[in-house]
Amino acid sequence: MKSNMDISTWKRKNLLGIEELSCIEITQILGLAKKFKQEMKGTNLDKDYLRGKRIVNLFMEPSTRTRIAFEVAAKSLHADVITVAEQSSSLTKGETLRDTAMNIQALGADAIVLRHSSPGSPLFLSRIVDVPIINAGDGAHEHPSQALLDLYTLQDRLGSVRGKKITILGDILFSRVARSNFWALSKMGAQVTLAGPSTLVPKQFESMGAKVCHNLKEALQGADAVMLLRIQHERQSSSHFPSLAEYTAIFGLNKDRRKWLKKGALILHPGPVNRGVELDSELADSSQSVILDQVSNGIAVRMAILYLCTYKKGI
Amino acid sequence: MSITCLHGGRIVDPANEINKIKDLYFEKNKIISKPPIESNKKINKIDVTGKIVMPGLVDLRTHLKNITGGQSENIKSGTMAAAAGGYTTILLMPDILPRADNPGTIQFIQDRILKHACVKVLLCGCLTKEAGGESLAPLGSLKEIGVAAISDCPRTTQNNQIFSKGVEYASMFDLLVIDLPRDISLSRNGSAHDGPMALKMGLGGYPRMAEELYVQRAISISKSVKTKIHLTSISSHGSVEMIRAAKEKGILISADVTPHHLSLNEDCITEFNPNFKMSPPVREEIDRNALVGGLLDGTIDCVSSAHEPFQEHEKNVEYDLSPPGVIGLETALSACYQNLKECEEFSWLKLISSMSYNASKILEINSGTLSVGSSADIVIFDSEFKWKYNKKNRLSLAANTPFENKEFKGKVEKTFVDGKLAFGIID
Repeated sequence: MKSNMDISTWKRKNLLGIEELSCIEITQILGLAKKFKQEMKGTNLDKDYLRGKRIVNLFMEPSTRTRIAFEVAAKSLHADVITVAEQSSSLTKGETLRDTAMNIQALGADAIVLRHSSPGSPLFLSRIVDVPIINAGDGAHEHPSQALLDLYTLQDRLGSVRGKKITILGDILFSRVARSNFWALSKMGAQVTLAGPSTLVPKQFESMGAKVCHNLKEALQGADAVMLLRIQHERQSSSHFPSLAEYTAIFGLNKDRRKWLKKGALILHPGPVNRGVELDSELADSSQSVILDQVSNGIAVRMAILYLCTYKKGI
Repeated sequence: MSITCLHGGRIVDPANEINKIKDLYFEKNKIISKPPIESNKKINKIDVTGKIVMPGLVDLRTHLKNITGGQSENIKSGTMAAAAGGYTTILLMPDILPRADNPGTIQFIQDRILKHACVKVLLCGCLTKEAGGESLAPLGSLKEIGVAAISDCPRTTQNNQIFSKGVEYASMFDLLVIDLPRDISLSRNGSAHDGPMALKMGLGGYPRMAEELYVQRAISISKSVKTKIHLTSISSHGSVEMIRAAKEKGILISADVTPHHLSLNEDCITEFNPNFKMSPPVREEIDRNALVGGLLDGTIDCVSSAHEPFQEHEKNVEYDLSPPGVIGLETALSACYQNLKECEEFSWLKLISSMSYNASKILEINSGTLSVGSSADIVIFDSEFKWKYNKKNRLSLAANTPFENKEFKGKVEKTFVDGKLAFGIID
């Protein structure tokens, strides 16, 4: 590895969440991601850092973007990638996550990328198996790689996020993306506002240090960027808000409301977007939207994560 | 058989409000008064100088899921754990397989108890069939076969009509109904207290409100039917206030709290360790303080262990998938002593009363006392002994304890049940 990448102080084997990371560690990951992104643009560069390594994507919940991005990232570093989805694994036969993971370790995995509906499941696995565990989303707890790619995208466009007003809007209560982004952005000095209906954005989030706002205009006013979250109507529409139509009427981001934002403010969304619900279709495709940048940056960020977490394994 | 004299210890006997250094005598299975000097019966003296001599503890909530033996907690191992914790009487909750909702099953369990138990085991029958909350179990027949109380714990009958009629019907037989107050619709996915910690960790919340609504239900029904209802495992400070107000009005409500709710708050779950997952969950410091205060001022009548054993493979899974419940028989007294002794209102009489005499009054049984003529159910407690609870000394076959390797000061040294040594050694 090139000596100018200052990752010599990286000590972590696992990436379980953003809450536990220091600013230096976040900067290290994003710095390495930037290098990888530049290398991918160039030609004739050797990127086979993970040649011979076996990365297992253990996805116990549906995922498109994250799973593919981890696959592409691993393959870009010439690792062997095996993806195990819940439907195709022995978990459908009643095997526990613990047994599945121990078997995967016995089969020679060098890292496990885990997506699971249980909060804390990556920490649970990390205590059972010796191989590095990378959290690709655990229930409503954390989604560190998503927050890191969001931060990468924001820094790419805004320079630094320090002092910037960034609003995360939508279903915060059930969102791991919101939690990880809150940690990442606030650690890097941004002013984070969590916004949406009171049933999905409890005031208690203030105990984490966030600003909580239930008024859309106030939440958007002067924001440098707004991060929209998917409304999971299949889960909450019966008890947490009356209907998608009402959500759109009160909290949907459309062209009229765009003017409340700072001019040229960025629009982010982790996907999948419900066009016409939380975000107007035209805005999703506008020049302010960086949704596709997020997806492509996700590859470089995940390359950096895979590299760092398997680094001590003798790369 | 000779007379045994426990010599030199501090007798703490809440039933008789005794707290002084004094010898205690028992012969066969009964406590006796000091034999006259001219008596030529042999006296077997056990020196317990510096120790506390107290009545055997009484537990209102023990779960032993397996009555047939084997590797998981059963009547033998569970009652050995009880004796190690100083319990001489336990109330066995009906969540065993098959469920204790019919006289035949009760009879079967009673046979097992006779064969395997080393402490006294009273049975709690189901309030509803299969504890399913849909229709009442045959409460009159259960009473006839000998149940000491009725409960669906750890489940909670949600239907208010069925619950209130069950309470009314049970009162006809003087059967105590024990309720774990919980509204399921507000706590279905709740695996932690609905507070800042669960929010941060992305865990489903179990709010105080889910408990308090059902505490109010019990208070209203108790008032209306004019009968006793016992609320088990109170966890919220609001519940303590409601129970205090109800008692002031003379409503026949009683309540217990667990040692873990007196000892821990929500901070313990930060590492997603399922051994801190219980139902109800441990809450915030304001709640813990209110529970301690409520126990010491008598609002909360007693401590129940809520001993709920699980095997390693059942419990040690992903936090939200792990069943709630922890073991507690062996650590209850040590944990309560440790947490309460520094309180201004602490007294030995209050502590021992809340773990023995008060529970026996609620069950209307003749135990939890050192009165002459009562059963020789006696515990010797060494309040200076430092120890750690772990697999080296654990008698329970389950290990789902929140107190693994915690250092305690104060340990049960000997437990006598009906005058027989059920735990400890005699030098």
